[in-house]
Amino acid sequence: MSGVARPEQRRSPARTQPDADATRRLELVVAHILQWGIGVSVALVAIGVALMLIDGISPLDPTFPPFDPRVVVAQMLALEPAGFLWLGLALTIATPSVRVAASLVGYLRQGDRRMVLVSLGILAVIALSIVIAGTGGG
Amino acid sequence: MTVALLMAAGGIAAGAFGSLLGLGGGVLIVPLLTLGFGLPLREAVGVSLVSVIVTSSAAAGVYLERHVANLRLGMSLELFTAIGALVGGLVAFLLPERVVAGLFALLLAYTAATMTRRALARPEAPTPVTAMPSPAADAPAAAATDAVAAESPTGPGAAVPAESPADPAQTADGGFVGSLSGPGYAVRRYPFGILGSLFAGLVSAILGVGGGIVKVPLMNLGMGVPLRVATATSNLMIGITASASAIVYLFRGGIDPYVAGPTALGVFVGAAVGSRVSHRIDVRILRVLFIVVLAYTAWQMAMKALG
Repeated sequence: MSGVARPEQRRSPARTQPDADATRRLELVVAHILQWGIGVSVALVAIGVALMLIDGISPLDPTFPPFDPRVVVAQMLALEPAGFLWLGLALTIATPSVRVAASLVGYLRQGDRRMVLVSLGILAVIALSIVIAGTGGG
Repeated sequence: MTVALLMAAGGIAAGAFGSLLGLGGGVLIVPLLTLGFGLPLREAVGVSLVSVIVTSSAAAGVYLERHVANLRLGMSLELFTAIGALVGGLVAFLLPERVVAGLFALLLAYTAATMTRRALARPEAPTPVTAMPSPAADAPAAAATDAVAAESPTGPGAAVPAESPADPAQTADGGFVGSLSGPGYAVRRYPFGILGSLFAGLVSAILGVGGGIVKVPLMNLGMGVPLRVATATSNLMIGITASASAIVYLFRGGIDPYVAGPTALGVFVGAAVGSRVSHRIDVRILRVLFIVVLAYTAWQMAMKALG
């Protein structure tokens, strides 16, 4: 199974034209991540909204359960709308980062160092926003 | 219960209008939630950001599948929109609501002016900014101006794009910027693109919009990217841009799930419906109507800003 040597694409150190096939494959992987990520998110949010309607919760109620990843599963098991809504919304926000992570892997395989750096840079900004928002108070 | 349904219906309307007129949802969702439902502006912005990620990512998935969006270009610019958005998300929590309302009024007025100019200049070529691509309808309109990017020829003789302003072989410098170019076009002025992207990120985070209204002209007019590719790539970039600031709103309690749920769901459904009926609807009358709505909303926001 592992007898076939994987053709690594490092043909020249300063390759300027990206490999068209590898780029196309990566585009399709990213497209599917986006479509699936948003599809599952919307489905979760739809369940949450349905439960909201059943429970008679009004969006104009000034209080709402805060986002707490540790209790989301428990909320879902208890069929609380907040659990489904939070998981759906968090997955929505995370989906673009997942596709950047997939791009990082793709560009690593292609040996495209500059795009690897770009991908890492984007993930670093996202990580920074989590750190700053999570610890900055508010 | 009724309010949740009303909010979802408002989201459907915002999503459908947005995709029919080539606007992002944000420019409609924020006024809907603040002026329509009386929610605080910052909360509306947080909810809008989430809704914008939903529609733009769904659209970007389709655009990538059709090989229209430029992943490399999008990523190398979204690094900077994300930085702008992170800063903007933090600044947004320091700005008084009246300042945000004033800025939003300016954005609405600018959007209305852009649409008016477009309506007068080229009545039958809508420019989708955050529209969800429909299965078949978006190709003909865009092909009129951007045959370059069309994957399949739209008719006999249409296979060869007659004009491409810059020949990649002549202008691509063979370096990083050269590798960002696509078939039939060469990316120019990348440093200008970086600056514009930082600005687009700031605008997006403070006002809760995707920022396509900045990114599309930036790439199209500023960097020599065909309109169709710029539109598709903008949709791709919006996801990361909006998520960088949405994280700040999420962790700082700026997103109410009971508002975000019905709204985002409505916008998703509305955008999907809008993109499927867009080829059957004459958007010219719709656009005129909408310019009036935007102008009125801009006035309302300005009043909110002035107290």
